[in-house]
Amino acid sequence: MTNRRSPYRIAFFVATVATCVWLSGMKLYAGAQTNTEQKPPAPAVRNSGQKNGEEVFMQNCSRCHKPPMTISPRVTGTVVMHMRVRAKLSRQDEEALLRYLAP
Amino acid sequence: MKIWLLAGCLLFCTMKVSAQDADNETTQAGYVPVISGAVGYVDSINGGTSTLLPAIDPVLLIPIGSHVLGEARGEFTGVFSRRNGNGDYTGQVFSELDYAQIDWLADTHAMVVGGKFILPYGLVTERLDPIWIDTFQNLPLTYSAGTQTTGFGVGGELRGVATQNDKFSVQYSAYYSAHSNASQFGSAHATGFDASVYFPTQRFEVGTSYQRFMDDPRHINNEAVYISWQPTHLPLDVKGEYDQSYYGLGYWIQAGYMLSQVPVANSFFKNVEIAGRMQQSFPDHGGGHGVPGTQTERPGVALNYYIRDNWRIISSYERSFTSAKDANLWNIGFTYRFVWPLWPGRK
Repeated sequence: MTNRRSPYRIAFFVATVATCVWLSGMKLYAGAQTNTEQKPPAPAVRNSGQKNGEEVFMQNCSRCHKPPMTISPRVTGTVVMHMRVRAKLSRQDEEALLRYLAP
Repeated sequence: MKIWLLAGCLLFCTMKVSAQDADNETTQAGYVPVISGAVGYVDSINGGTSTLLPAIDPVLLIPIGSHVLGEARGEFTGVFSRRNGNGDYTGQVFSELDYAQIDWLADTHAMVVGGKFILPYGLVTERLDPIWIDTFQNLPLTYSAGTQTTGFGVGGELRGVATQNDKFSVQYSAYYSAHSNASQFGSAHATGFDASVYFPTQRFEVGTSYQRFMDDPRHINNEAVYISWQPTHLPLDVKGEYDQSYYGLGYWIQAGYMLSQVPVANSFFKNVEIAGRMQQSFPDHGGGHGVPGTQTERPGVALNYYIRDNWRIISSYERSFTSAKDANLWNIGFTYRFVWPLWPGRK
């Protein structure tokens, strides 16, 4: 007896996974939108030896593009990592940005 | 059965990656996979020929902890123009993997990049090229001088901040790219570096790029010098670049001004940007290889309106003067930038 795998099973599986990812993404997106209704938080208090996150934000983001007015804390770490690579920021700048955007 | 096992492993790995959510000890920042990027649509008219250019450029970001990041950008661009000049629109959609790289944030001064990456050359390739950033949708005439043959490299790159204090910072990147003809991973044999000094108080940057292109029968050198200035007391953005290669040289300089200082109807004008750009290119050794084959002058203006910080209406006009033919270049359209989480975080 030939153990043939039905192509419909694969298609059904792929469709199920895609639907789950899509639905969770929509739910997350809705949550993120709710979170991003607020403007960036007030700058964190500058501690001794720490850079001011608002300064880093305004000085570096505007070198290339209009700084974003809103960003969800949920994605802040990932986005700041990406921007650290792209804008060649130091670790101190990265930490200052994280304190400013997601205190 | 195998496919279920494979899918289970993939989902488990994804959950593990998401579960990193390695919040910094002192912040609420979340580290979840993210899909970002931009959507754009431009109607481009070049010398009377209209071309519709819809585009989607998604960027996938997958953090592994807080020191390793996997990232990739795709580019799906449609090019549609009228058949025989006045018939129905026809064309096709081009898809390309721009870059796919692993970033290791090794140290405060150094980051290591491996995979397919953007060649760091001048201001445009890494910084102004995304459709949601660039003030003018037409690339500068000398854009291709340091981006042969695809604008991307396959190999390794070291980048970061060499030194930094309150007065200035020195940033650098150096890379080596192997020749590759692999599908979606095409690149040229090249090596080079980029270095810039940024003065944060003045918000002024000056930098230089060098590339040795080794795919050509003769190894050629490409050089660029650039400036960027955003004065603190004016909503002004000035950028300029000079490029030189074996095949020609040229420059572009542009200034963008947000009309936020207009006293009347400020809620409207604060979102309006006007910009001007001047560029010239001069061929050498016959030009080509991305440099125009004839001397070209191209002044232009742009008018952009930011509906939100991530959504704007764009328009521009440029006049191209060459010994062969002068032409008008019009662009009008919109761009939209998005950032969406792909997995729940703890926050």
